[in-house]
Amino acid sequence: MLNNIMNFANYWWFRYLMVTELYVVEKWERVTIHVIFMVLFCVFWYFNYSVLLSLTSNLIGYTPLASILDIENEGAARVKVM
Amino acid sequence: MGNMDDDGVTFAQSYESIAANKNASTPISNGHIPNQNFVPREMAKQQHEKELNEVEQEVQQDRVEVEEQQQLLLNKQLKFSAPAYTEIRTRSGGLHFKRTSEGSYHPATNEGHATSEGKQTCDDDKFKPSQAERVLSAEREHYQKTSFEDVPLHTACLTYLGFYLLMILGYINQLLFVPKVATEKARDGYVTLYDAFESFYSRYVYRRVRDCWNRPICSVPGDELVLKDRVTDDYGWSFRFTGTETRCLNLGSYNYLGFAAATGACADNSEQRAREKGLAYCSSRCELGNSQMHIDLEKLTARYCGVEDAIVFGMGFATNALNLPSLLGPNCLVVSDEKNHASIILGLRLSGATTRVFKHNNMRDLDRVLRTGVCYGNPKNGGKPWRKIMILVEGIFSMEGSIVRLPEIIALKKKYKAYVYLDEAHSIGSMGPTGRGVVEYFGIDPKDVDILMGTFTKSFGSAGGYIAGSKKLIDFLRTNSHAHCYASSISPPIVQQIYTSMSIIMGEDGTDTGRNKVQQLARNTRYFRKRLAQMGVITYGHEDSPVVPMLVYLFSKIGAVIRTLTTRHIAVVGAGFPATPIMEGRIRFCLSAAHTKDQLDYALDVIDDVSENLGLKYSRKPRDPNPIEY
Repeated sequence: MLNNIMNFANYWWFRYLMVTELYVVEKWERVTIHVIFMVLFCVFWYFNYSVLLSLTSNLIGYTPLASILDIENEGAARVKVM
Repeated sequence: MGNMDDDGVTFAQSYESIAANKNASTPISNGHIPNQNFVPREMAKQQHEKELNEVEQEVQQDRVEVEEQQQLLLNKQLKFSAPAYTEIRTRSGGLHFKRTSEGSYHPATNEGHATSEGKQTCDDDKFKPSQAERVLSAEREHYQKTSFEDVPLHTACLTYLGFYLLMILGYINQLLFVPKVATEKARDGYVTLYDAFESFYSRYVYRRVRDCWNRPICSVPGDELVLKDRVTDDYGWSFRFTGTETRCLNLGSYNYLGFAAATGACADNSEQRAREKGLAYCSSRCELGNSQMHIDLEKLTARYCGVEDAIVFGMGFATNALNLPSLLGPNCLVVSDEKNHASIILGLRLSGATTRVFKHNNMRDLDRVLRTGVCYGNPKNGGKPWRKIMILVEGIFSMEGSIVRLPEIIALKKKYKAYVYLDEAHSIGSMGPTGRGVVEYFGIDPKDVDILMGTFTKSFGSAGGYIAGSKKLIDFLRTNSHAHCYASSISPPIVQQIYTSMSIIMGEDGTDTGRNKVQQLARNTRYFRKRLAQMGVITYGHEDSPVVPMLVYLFSKIGAVIRTLTTRHIAVVGAGFPATPIMEGRIRFCLSAAHTKDQLDYALDVIDDVSENLGLKYSRKPRDPNPIEY
């Protein structure tokens, strides 16, 4: 069971390295590229969170995430008051 | 792989443990016993056997046994100290084979080769010779038989992404480290002499998979060859030999008819000729290098091609590069296929003629280029007509595996009164019912093609090139060609190899060996291509062309396929970016009449497994569910 999962993960990790050409590079280069990938991902996430989300909520006038956060904030405030 | 990849050790270990668990023993022994140790041992054995009569037996046997044990120990050390490649990690721990014996390649016995007895010519009634059917129109038949499947979009995106990643990494690498190469010291006031981008590319992209190219071999490249194993400790900057050798099935040589062999009539005759006439004349044909052999060879070549006369040269590349300038000059228009070989391109540049390129095998584009050429003339010369217009094409395009659309080109040539220069480097010997090239394949009169050029390097298993055509053309070349006047003449044993192989193909040795070889090549080609199409990999080209490019697109996949196939004892050739467009990395299989069905079946089974595991089955065409008949 565990062996199978390991096999599966190994195989698809290998396929991932293959299609990104990371399979032929040295180890430190692979790490560098993965760090760059992670940084890019984080920057995109932050951009989506801070800019795109507020932009779309202004356009549509409705933000499920923001309303949830508001309720939580209110709850926290109530706890503080009590 | 292990030495190319930091995780390779764990890959290999995981594979080994799985293999041990499953008891699926498909041991791939990289590097068999090296010959240089093996041969002395055999010789020693024979010597011992001779001496047995004279000396007491027991003492000798003891000594032999001790020696053999030492030899075994030595072999073990050699075998395991530095394997060239370890097994690649795959989906479920190694490639599966039905029987354990299939896991490694066993050199085939010599049965089944095309010989004079004609063992392979079974079910002759079903066999179609290598010939255009000419039932449909030439255009329809071309589109029916030629396949250039488009790349899937996601693969295209990934290929570009990977290429950019490699370039970025190369720049980072160059920024951080001083490369371990000879550097050009900038002299004061001078620019650098060597091209920067090419060296950058070869250092940081090509170097990573350099172990897959230019691999040294140490045997005749027949149906099998022996690779000299080498490993790298510094990611491809340098290599060292391990001292072991790997016997591989050879799918990478242009040995179409299997005349590259260490034994047989060709080899014997060449040896005989070398003993009689020496190795070289050290002079050009115009001076002291001419001999009756060369004249005979030219006559035979002319008869082979079905034209009046022929001229032979010692180098195939120079045949194109040095003869085109004598035929063309400024104020000539050359219409050249975009996939033409580098020798043709060099020749055109040397000639100074104006070159217009038309899209690969695209007759509409050729028609357009010819029409504008005829209508508008030479713009640099005030629109006056061109002195001559020449269409330059190859018979088989070696990178694409496609065949020229000769009937349509002949029609266009007659329409616009242009000349045709046909480079039959790959097609001579390998196409047509009797191996006379693409001209015979389409059933065209050879006199319709003005200049027939070809090489002796491929099908004839030798070296050199020829130009065949009318007597006037050849006489003109004899007086004007640089390759004829200045290059030294072909060496006698090489002439003999060409002469013998050509007479065998023509059937002038009194056997039908040549015919059998041509037929076996046609049969091998169709079988191999159809099986590959059935697997679902993308192959390019015409179904009768013995050059079979299999598209793998990604740079790392070229490396992975070549390395994996090497562990399976199959040697193939890959082609990457400078030779092909960035998008179209490919593995090129070259078929030969020397391959038997068993060998091809073995190779196809392995390719099927590898393409399944590495994800090469890109094709979206419907697959033939029926088994392919040989």
